[in-house]
Amino acid sequence: MAKTLAILPSAQLAPLADAYRAAMAVKRRWTIGGLVLLAVFTFLSAWAGQVDLVKFWAGLPRFASYFHDIVPRLRFETFAADMVEWFWNFDGWLALLWDTLLVAYVGTLAGALAGFVLCFLASANLTKSTPVRFIARRSLEFCRTFPEIVFALMFVYAFGFGPMPGVLAIAIHTAGALGKQFSEVVENVDMHPVEGLTASGANYVEAIRFGVVPQVLSNFVSYSLLRFEINVRGATVLGFVGAGGIGKELISSIRQFYYADVSAILVIIIGTVFLIDWLTEMLRHRLLGIVGDAR
Amino acid sequence: MSKPAGKIRGLGEADRSEMRRRYPQAFRAPVVERCLSLAIVVGGAALAIYTLWRFGFSPAKFVDGLDKLGIVVVLMMPPDPGSQLWHYASALAETLAIAFLGTLGAAILALPMSMLAAKNVVANRILHFASRRFLDTIRGVDTLIWALIWINVVGLGPFAGILAIMTSDFGSFGKLFSEAIEASDRKPVDGVLSAGGSEVHSFRFGILPQVMPVLMSQVLYYFESNTRSATIIGIVGAGGIGLYLANEIAQAEWQRVAFIILMILVTVSVIDWVSSRLRLAMIGRRAGATA
Amino acid sequence: MLRLEGVTKSFGGNKAVDSVSLVVPTGQMVGVIGRSGAGKSTLLRMINRLGDPTTGRILFGDTDVTALRGRPLRAWRARCAMIFQQFNLAGRLDVLTNVMMGRLSYVGTLPALLNLWSEHDRAIALSSLDQFDMAGLAAQRADTLSGGQQQRVAIARALVQEPDMILADEPIASLDPRNTRMVMDALQRINKQFGITVICNLHSLDTARAYCDRLIGMAQGRVVFDDVPQALTDEVARGLYGLDAGEIMDTAGTALPAPAAPYQPSLAVA
Repeated sequence: MAKTLAILPSAQLAPLADAYRAAMAVKRRWTIGGLVLLAVFTFLSAWAGQVDLVKFWAGLPRFASYFHDIVPRLRFETFAADMVEWFWNFDGWLALLWDTLLVAYVGTLAGALAGFVLCFLASANLTKSTPVRFIARRSLEFCRTFPEIVFALMFVYAFGFGPMPGVLAIAIHTAGALGKQFSEVVENVDMHPVEGLTASGANYVEAIRFGVVPQVLSNFVSYSLLRFEINVRGATVLGFVGAGGIGKELISSIRQFYYADVSAILVIIIGTVFLIDWLTEMLRHRLLGIVGDAR
Repeated sequence: MSKPAGKIRGLGEADRSEMRRRYPQAFRAPVVERCLSLAIVVGGAALAIYTLWRFGFSPAKFVDGLDKLGIVVVLMMPPDPGSQLWHYASALAETLAIAFLGTLGAAILALPMSMLAAKNVVANRILHFASRRFLDTIRGVDTLIWALIWINVVGLGPFAGILAIMTSDFGSFGKLFSEAIEASDRKPVDGVLSAGGSEVHSFRFGILPQVMPVLMSQVLYYFESNTRSATIIGIVGAGGIGLYLANEIAQAEWQRVAFIILMILVTVSVIDWVSSRLRLAMIGRRAGATA
Repeated sequence: MLRLEGVTKSFGGNKAVDSVSLVVPTGQMVGVIGRSGAGKSTLLRMINRLGDPTTGRILFGDTDVTALRGRPLRAWRARCAMIFQQFNLAGRLDVLTNVMMGRLSYVGTLPALLNLWSEHDRAIALSSLDQFDMAGLAAQRADTLSGGQQQRVAIARALVQEPDMILADEPIASLDPRNTRMVMDALQRINKQFGITVICNLHSLDTARAYCDRLIGMAQGRVVFDDVPQALTDEVARGLYGLDAGEIMDTAGTALPAPAAPYQPSLAVA
């Protein structure tokens, strides 16, 4: 062949090819092993999860028709009237949605404040005492492990129905999630300012206030805004267990097959989530700039 | 050293105005920013207070609730599954199955979708915009809502839970994967194309090997997080431990509740540990495998 | 024979390459010189069709390269192998697979996607690597290699394409002197031994003078010099790089103040 090179004689080529094949065989064994393991877990999970492809296939048209059913018929001639009929309870839903947003807001705020306090105690570079750090970390982990709706279930029992248990549930889960992210940020700060402040006589809190907080504040704000975004989504379903907001209305319309209501509420929720995502993203970009300058 | 210190201490009004004249920004500049921060803090606090008022928050009720919570915690001791241990264990296995299959399915379905949503793979602006909004819409609906919808299709049980997690993570993965693909290095792609490879080749050899470790690590991270979400999906009847948890809470069987909580805690930490190990191993050692 | 007819490439209002017309006979070793931003890279990428000219035609023999689409285009790209400044290897894939990329236009799509290659292709790739003493590293991940080693892998990839022409875009700009020498010697050997046309973008005037049969100077997208290396006087070079009369060229093609060591032609000719 080859205008550009001659193939090596096989005596020279064979050992090279064999060496390559041997090296590849090791990698291939890892890959095949991984795939086999994956297949085993998949089958076990399919069995435990009662996966039924026949049922799935049979039900699939229902999935499509569900979306078809829940969207009301909008005619061009009577578009305005149809819209009014579709969103007949717009004001009521908006009020519930406002509740949901406030639940997310106060929950995020309270959780961020708690996480802010705890994150310094959980950071290896600021807290030398192992027991304190251990307790701080384990409690953050506990708060984070359970989705807010688990806390909401318990709090509804303790505080009664309404948005307050929702706020508390989100606050606790947020404290855990943000506390961990915050402490990771804190562990990566430049320690020189802290040493400088400690050397000039600052105590623990002062050293954190002037040595650490200016470095981490922009990150904290950014993480909190992201968490707010997540919490808005989470808060929409807290009503499922009686913890306030639009969720209660949604689940009852789903359960009672008020199809048009389901789609109307979903449209409102998705629209709000879009809006919040967009706003927080803008705010994050803007605020990061301002906070950055203020350092 | 005492001399400059003494001088600072003796700073008079004249010196101060002199300083202000010489370094105006040290005295004036923060005012605007201070006002802005103050406005943010005051506004934020006002909104919080308004919320508490709107929600009818009262300290007495709060203390009362805490009191009740305290009683609950006392009643939880010692955690005890009663006769339900076997049911709980199998429900927990179901939970893991939901998380595992949901994550895996979502990842497999999201990969082709993410190519569509990545600017550097499909350079069609309309397609890019449409697929991004489509993914956003899916993500905008909470997993529990998806579970309710899927229950309509396949009935109550863990399969609906799997499909719910699959759906909502499909949205998240689609977005994350497409961002990872867009962040990939263009040079290997040029290399493959310049040697006569097709667009498909350039994705397979130029982009995929680069992004695979990132994607794997994201998938594992979501698996961890989904084990947590899967614990509650049973609340709406989509399988797993959540159904038991909700029932035992509703029936105030606090020792059982405590036992379930402990089971979840242990399982989640084991999964976290395994997954973080796996993540390290994959990114560190085996990421270069060509298969 | 490669012929460029009024090739222009505009980005927005900017003309990166401005009506370049050239004829490169088969077997020539051409150096393209000029400041960064002069359009050298864009020109080479257009010949390989990684970028399309805004106007103008590129012809190879009787083929209109600019009109190629689909499979013929891929075949053309394989015929004019490209070597890059940053090597452009798939860092996470092993060396041999990277070299195999040069065979993509010769094999079916499906086996290639599954990373299945014939013994013949594998033998070609190993032989090509062996020319640069790299066959022993075939199973290594490409990003574990040094820059010089990676560029050798890239050249091995170019060779297995069985090209009629090699386009080298600043192949030595990221390398140390020893590897620079290695890579340029290899290109020269390919040129002289197999009569393959080599078009090479170079920063360094010394290297260009030492290795090339013909130099093309570009400034602001236009060809401003096209002759044998001997014709490239210091004055012309200064004009090319936009330097004042007091400044002279050093080996990397950048300006040094006048009192620096006097200019010496390189002795690197093999």
